[in-house]
Amino acid sequence: MLRFLTRRGLSAAFILLIVSAVTFFLFFAVPGDPARLACGKVCPPETLVQARHNLGLDQPIFVQFVEWVSGIFVGREYEGLGHCPAPCLGYSFVNQEPVFGTIVDRLPVTLSLTVGAAVVFLLFGVGTGIIAALNQGKPLDKIASVSSLIGASVQIYFIGTLAMYFLVFQWQVIERPRYVPLTEDPIGWAYGLLLPWIVLAIIFTANYTRMTRSTMVEQLSEDYVRTARAKGMSARTVVLRFALRGTLTPIATIFGIDLASLIGGAIITETTFSLQGIGRLSIQSVNNDDLPMLMATVLLAAAAIVVFNVIVDALYAVIDPRVRLS
Amino acid sequence: MSIRKRSTVAVLAVGVLALAGACAKGGGGGTPAAAGNPSSAASDRGPSADTAPKIAIGTADDSNGPAIAPEGVVKGGAINMIDRDDYAHLDPGRIYTNVESAFALMYARQLTGYKRIAKNDYKLVGDLATDTGQASDGGKTWTFTLKDGVKWQDGTPITSGDVKWTIERLFASYSTEGAPYVQQWLTQENYKKSYKGPYDGKHLDNIETPDDKTVVFKFKEPHADANFALAMTTYGIVPQAKDTKERYDKEPFSNGPYIIVNHVTDKSMDLERNPNWDPATDPIRGAYPDKWHMEFGYQNLQATDRFIADAGDDKKTFSFYRQVAPERLQQVLSDPAFKSRLMSQPSPYADYYYFNLDRVKDIKIRQAINYAWPAKQLQQIGGGPVSSVISTTILNPTLAGYQEYDLFNKKAKPEGDVEKAKELLAQSSNPHPTIVYAYNQTPVQERITVAIKAGLEKAGIKVVAKPLNPKTWYDSITKIDNGFDMYWGGWGADWPNAATVFPVIFGPIVEGGQNVSHFKDPEIQAEIKRIQGMSDADEANKAWGALDKTIMEKVTPLVPDVNSIANSLHGSLIGGAEIDPINWVVSPNTIFVKQQ
Repeated sequence: MLRFLTRRGLSAAFILLIVSAVTFFLFFAVPGDPARLACGKVCPPETLVQARHNLGLDQPIFVQFVEWVSGIFVGREYEGLGHCPAPCLGYSFVNQEPVFGTIVDRLPVTLSLTVGAAVVFLLFGVGTGIIAALNQGKPLDKIASVSSLIGASVQIYFIGTLAMYFLVFQWQVIERPRYVPLTEDPIGWAYGLLLPWIVLAIIFTANYTRMTRSTMVEQLSEDYVRTARAKGMSARTVVLRFALRGTLTPIATIFGIDLASLIGGAIITETTFSLQGIGRLSIQSVNNDDLPMLMATVLLAAAAIVVFNVIVDALYAVIDPRVRLS
Repeated sequence: MSIRKRSTVAVLAVGVLALAGACAKGGGGGTPAAAGNPSSAASDRGPSADTAPKIAIGTADDSNGPAIAPEGVVKGGAINMIDRDDYAHLDPGRIYTNVESAFALMYARQLTGYKRIAKNDYKLVGDLATDTGQASDGGKTWTFTLKDGVKWQDGTPITSGDVKWTIERLFASYSTEGAPYVQQWLTQENYKKSYKGPYDGKHLDNIETPDDKTVVFKFKEPHADANFALAMTTYGIVPQAKDTKERYDKEPFSNGPYIIVNHVTDKSMDLERNPNWDPATDPIRGAYPDKWHMEFGYQNLQATDRFIADAGDDKKTFSFYRQVAPERLQQVLSDPAFKSRLMSQPSPYADYYYFNLDRVKDIKIRQAINYAWPAKQLQQIGGGPVSSVISTTILNPTLAGYQEYDLFNKKAKPEGDVEKAKELLAQSSNPHPTIVYAYNQTPVQERITVAIKAGLEKAGIKVVAKPLNPKTWYDSITKIDNGFDMYWGGWGADWPNAATVFPVIFGPIVEGGQNVSHFKDPEIQAEIKRIQGMSDADEANKAWGALDKTIMEKVTPLVPDVNSIANSLHGSLIGGAEIDPINWVVSPNTIFVKQQ
C-alpha cells in the first residue's frame, strides 16, 4: 500500500506541475495586459510601466513561473508587502492579499456545499437505484427512471434560479442561501445551505440512480448472488452484503470525480446562490486577469481530481477484495 | 473618478478609457429640478436628460456643516448594502472608480467636495477646507485653509502637512491607479519620472505649508478648476503618521464619519461611527445610520429579486450600484407598488461611435453616417426609452457649459434620415462607401452591429463588421494603425466640466492613447489649449460648450451614442436614497433607515 501511495503521490505532483505550467503559459498566450487594470483611466506611459513592475509582469515569463513555484515551497519576499510565507501562491493582482489566505477563507464554503450535497445525492441516488433495481419493470422502477431522466436533463442555472425565485423570494418558504461556519452554528450552517444541497442533489442524484440501478440489476444475476440465495440467505443480506458491494465500485468512481469537480469549483452553483466559494473565486480571477488567484484555483481543482483518484483507487480494494493494489 | 469595474472583462471590453474609466460630474447648464427630499422625490424621477444637475461654486458659509438633512430623516439604526463586487482599493490615492468613490465618502475627506442642496442642485464647497480655495497668479497658485476641528479617527488634528504628504505619496511607485491631474500640474505629464514620492525624505517645493492650517499649490500653468480636481477621491487626505504605503490600501485611517471595523475581502464589510468626526465641520455627509453592514457577491438578478420581495432585513437594504436586472425592469417600471422605491437617473457619462479620421477622410461621409444612424433601434436594443435617451452632443448634459444642439436631426428622425444621408453621400467623394466597423464581440454588441449595418445600408453605405475580443478591445482600437473605420468608445469627465473631456479625447495621438478618432484639427486644438489656460471658470465653461458644436460641425469625429439611464430599487425602510447625479451611484450622504 505504501509503495502504491508513494508512486501515485509522485505522479500526482508531476501532473500538478504540468497543469500549473500549462495554465501559467496559457495565461500569457492569451492577449491582454493585467497591468492596465492597475493603471488609472488616464494612464501615463511611465505609470503603466510602474504598474507592470509592481505586478512582476516585467520579468521573463519563465522567471515568473520559477518564482511562483519556488514560493510554494520556500515563500517569497514582496517589495512593500513583506514576506509571503510558504506555501505562498502569490499575491492577488486585484486584492493585493496573499492568495493562500483567500483560498483558505473560501474553501470551507465549497467544502460545505460539496459534502452536504454529496451526502444527499449519494444516499438518495444509491437508495433510489436499489429500489428501482429490486422492482425492475414495476411502477417504482419506472418512476425512478423518469425522475432520474428529468433530473439529468435540468441544469443548475435553470432549476436553481427557479428555486430561488419561487421558494425564497415569492413564497418565502425558505431563507435565501448563506454560509454560516459549521463551528459557529451547525443548524444555521445546514439551513443556510439546504437549498443549494437540494438543487445539487436533484442534478447529481439522477446519475447515481441510473448507475446503481443498472449495476445492481447486473449484480443480482451474478452466480455468487444466486449461490447466496440458494443457501437460504435473506433477501436483505443478499442485496446489502453481496449485490450492493459489487455495485459500489463504479459508484465510487463517479463519486470521486463528482466530489473532486465540486471541490475544484461549483462555479454555477455558487454564482446562482451567491455563495463565495472557490468556484466564484475562479471565475472572478479569470474576469480580473488575476493570474496568482487563477493559478491557485486551477491548482486546487487539479489537486482535488488527483487526490480523489488516488483515494478511489485505494477504496476499490476495500470495497471489493478481488481487487488488489498493484 | 470612474465608473465601477463591473467586471474586469467588461471594463476592458468597453475600453478602460471609456465608460470603465468614465467619471462625470454634473454641471451647470441644466435646469435645477424640483428641490426636496430624495425619498419623496422618487415619483418625480422620470428618466430624462433634463434631470442634469446644476452645480455652483459654494461660499465659505456653504462649506460649514452640518449637511442639509433630507425630509423625514431618522438618525441611527443599521443599514445594509449589497453589491456584486468588493472595493478593489480603500486607499483614497488609489481610487478612481465611481463606486469606490461613493464608498470612500464614509471614511475619506478631500479639501473640497459636492454638497447636495436639493435634488439635482449641488454646490462645490470646502470639505476639509474652509472654502473652495483662493486662486491667484492667474490660476497658477491655489491656497486652501483647513477648518478648525477637523480630526483623524484618533483625535489628532488634520494638518496642512497631511495634505502635502497626500499629494506627494501619489508619486510613489505603488500608487498607479488614481487620477493624475494634480501631480501632472505640479510636475510634468509623465509625472512618475520627475519625483519618486516622499518616503526617501524628498519633498515637492511647489506645495507650500506656511502653517498647520494653510496649504498652497503652485502649478506650472493656470488651472481654473483645481478646486474641482481636488474634490476627486484620489486626493482624499492621508495622515503622514499613519501612512503604511501599500498596506494603507487595507487599513485606511478615517477622517470621515465612519471607521471600517471589519472587512473580509470580497465577502463583507462593517462600519461604525467615528467618534472624532464632527458634523459641524462637514457640509457634505449626513451620516445618518449608526452602523453599516455590506455584503458582496450578489448578481443583478438576485439583488433585484431581494429588493422586489422586500422581506425581513432586506427592507433596510440598498445597493450602491446594482441596477434593476433587465429581466425584471418592465415589472418594476409598470407596477406602481415599486414607484416609491425606484431611483432613476441618466448617466453623466458619454458614449460615442468614433470615426477613424485617418481613414474616413471625407466629412460628407461622416455626416451622412450621422444622419443615417439608427439611434432609435439602438435605444430599443438597450431596453427602450426607460433605459436610455438619444444623445446629440459630445458633452453630456450634466457638464457645466453644456449647450444643446441637434445637427443631424436625431430627435426628429431617431430611426435615421436616410434621404438626407443619401443627399450628402451624392456630394461626397464616394457615394457608396464601405465602412469597416469594429465591435466588441458580446451578445448585445452583436445585436447593435446588426442594427447599425441595416441602418447604414439603407443609405447605401456598406458595413464590414469586424468582431474584436473584449479582452483586447482597448488595445485594438487604441492602435494608431488599427485598420478600422469606426468603433465604439466612451468617456466621462472627472469633474463637471469639459476640462477632462476635449483635451483628452482630442489630445495627443499616441499608441494606446485616448484620441482614438485621431483628431488633429490645429485650430480646434489651439482653441482647446486656449480654454485650458483661461482663469475664469464660467467663461471657460461657455467656451467648452460652444466648442462642442464647432467640433461636430467642422470635423464630425464621431456619432453620439445613447445615454444610459440607471434604474435601481431599495428596501422599503430606506429613506433619503438617491442616485447621485454626479457619479451615478447611490449616495451614502443622504440615506437613512426609517423607523418601523
